Amino acid sequence: MSAQRVDSQPAYVIHARPYRETSLLIEALTLDHGRVGLVARGAARPKSALRALLQPFVPLHLSWQGNGELKTLRSAEPAGMVRRPDGRAALSGLYLNELLQRLLPRDDGHPELFSAYVDAMQGLIFPESVEVCLRRFEMRLLDALGYGLVLDHEPLNGEAIVPEAAYDYDPHGGPRRTSAGLGLNLRGASLANMAANRFDDETTRADAKRLLRQVLRTHLGERPLKSRELFQGLAARKQV
Amino acid sequence: MSFSPLIDRLIDALRVLPGVGPRSAQRAAFHLLERDRDGARRLAEALVLAMDKVGHCNQCRTLSEAALCALCNSDRRDRSVLCVVENPTDVIAVDRGGAYNGLFFVLMGHLSPLDGIGPKELGLDGLDARLAESEVKELILATNPTVEGEATAHYIAEMARRHGVRVSRIAQGVPFGGELEFIDAGTLSQAIADRRAY
Ligand SMILES: [Zn+2]
Repeated sequence: MSAQRVDSQPAYVIHARPYRETSLLIEALTLDHGRVGLVARGAARPKSALRALLQPFVPLHLSWQGNGELKTLRSAEPAGMVRRPDGRAALSGLYLNELLQRLLPRDDGHPELFSAYVDAMQGLIFPESVEVCLRRFEMRLLDALGYGLVLDHEPLNGEAIVPEAAYDYDPHGGPRRTSAGLGLNLRGASLANMAANRFDDETTRADAKRLLRQVLRTHLGERPLKSRELFQGLAARKQV
Repeated sequence: MSFSPLIDRLIDALRVLPGVGPRSAQRAAFHLLERDRDGARRLAEALVLAMDKVGHCNQCRTLSEAALCALCNSDRRDRSVLCVVENPTDVIAVDRGGAYNGLFFVLMGHLSPLDGIGPKELGLDGLDARLAESEVKELILATNPTVEGEATAHYIAEMARRHGVRVSRIAQGVPFGGELEFIDAGTLSQAIADRRAY
């Protein structure tokens, strides 16, 4: 079988680490091929131009070849302007990347997820939109993985969501109406706002954060996200 | 191709050095055996001694065989300023620039969730305690201008502000994606001189 060649794929690096003597092992999110593992030969050399390019937040066009679990990077070119992320954006970006690395299997293409990631990378640059940006990405990630949230009805009985009512959420079964104060205690209106992609209301943002954290935890399993520690460390004073 | 067991073992051992592949390891092994056995013995001795004795400075975490490294021990440094860097080689790099006369804190890495490196692994609880002691009035964040470096700087800045410590970040002028270790002294001392509030 001849080695598969892929040319100029839109991509972002989600992680890079040293590999063998002078190479980097890159995990990248790409438009058509999803998450791919790439060996960038010689990229760990001090003066390598690749090294500075193969960084999170840098929009790239990547070309590679190979059929195995790890492919060989042939070239990397910048695709558009690089906005230097501030500290908070960088931290949030590391969180998104950890989510992808943990939840998205390699070589499983999701163009819709890639465009969600592009939106997130661009949105994180603006401090006022960081939180909403993270919530939107989490929702679109769950959609791509086939775990999309149910936000408009109760699957158990088919009833529509009532804005004034309170809901709990079963990660496998969707929203369930409860008495106020029980379970996740989500407001019906918040679910409706999330379904409509409207996050300007503060209660919606707080509900969305609790709901998504709960659902993501189910899919992540026992091992907690390392980036959670970071947000907890920053704690209380700044909400992410 | 394979040599005698001892030679093979030497070649194999030499490959732990960064950037040394099978071929250069082989060249080095034969050079030592044929031309410089004394040098090789000194190397072996130095390796053993360093591996056994060198640990981390109790105060700044840099590599040191003394409980307190020479910089932390010096009475000529300004103890009210602390510069946070990722690696021991960054200490040398910043110090070489001559623009800085304070103390250092060496993270021995940067925050990297995907590598399992969080605040604990970087000794940030120790830094937190040190900032609480209030000797330090200003913190200069000189982590690398990479995404992880920025995230690390942000995290530490939030920590320092809780203790009322003034925080600045080294200026750019070093290219995004670069690493301090590989940047020339002039650029680096400029970056220290032009540091900005963060
Ligand atoms: Zn020290």
